[in-house]
Amino acid sequence: MIHDATTRAWVALSILSAASVMVASTTGTGVGGSLSGAVILLFAWVKARIVLARYLGLWQAPGWLAGFNWVLGFYCLLLLGLFLVPELTR
Amino acid sequence: MDERPAVEQSSPLDSLPGDLMMWVLIVSELLVFGAGLAAFLAVRITDPSGFAAARASLSPAFAGINTFILITSGFLAARALNLRLRSRRSAARWHLAGAAGLGAVFMALKLVEYVEKAGEGITTETHPFFTFYYLLTGFHAAHVIAGMVILGLVAWKDDPRNMETGTAFWHMVDLVWLLLFPVIYLLG
Repeated sequence: MIHDATTRAWVALSILSAASVMVASTTGTGVGGSLSGAVILLFAWVKARIVLARYLGLWQAPGWLAGFNWVLGFYCLLLLGLFLVPELTR
Repeated sequence: MDERPAVEQSSPLDSLPGDLMMWVLIVSELLVFGAGLAAFLAVRITDPSGFAAARASLSPAFAGINTFILITSGFLAARALNLRLRSRRSAARWHLAGAAGLGAVFMALKLVEYVEKAGEGITTETHPFFTFYYLLTGFHAAHVIAGMVILGLVAWKDDPRNMETGTAFWHMVDLVWLLLFPVIYLLG
């Protein structure tokens, strides 16, 4: 069990980054590609949250952290929408 | 003359950790890179197969290793600030040196990638994918170099306030990469 929050953040970031590469390399195009894109962007959002909270210290300011989380969440949804357009309009 | 004591007004901005101007910079950089990444995926709509073919020439595993290097560098920078706040100045400086050193490794690997692409005859003109690739990763690389200089400066002038501001810049560089890496190397 890791007690230090900074170390826990580093472990989580490393695992999520490795998982993103694995998801990208094991799926092709079509529905699988769309799903993997969604998972990769979800991981990117979680990683951004971790950096903001633990590395940039926003855990001390929960209101600001929530604000950044919402804006980044909507931004990742925008990216997902743009990523899915070619698939949806095929 | 009014002799009433001034009442301290607390602002929501006061709850932000560190220097307010650094947060202004972080938000500005996120907006710039965010717009660039959204434009990248918007242009991809016009030629998804061309973007997929271009992306296939990049190595996600290689970029994944570089991501791990940058994440670890950010970890060392975060630890450096924690150590400095506990007055362990020497250990903090060594951690900053480690963070900057890993920044140099990141840059070396990026250089290898650029040389490899140049060797394959790939330039900014080859395909819109590579225009964005060179623009966004190159602009990020410039921030990495600036960040390494800043880490060196705050290791030298190691006031806790300086170190908090300098490491925040480094975490911003980290944060931008964590958005840039999946979009360009994994989704593009």
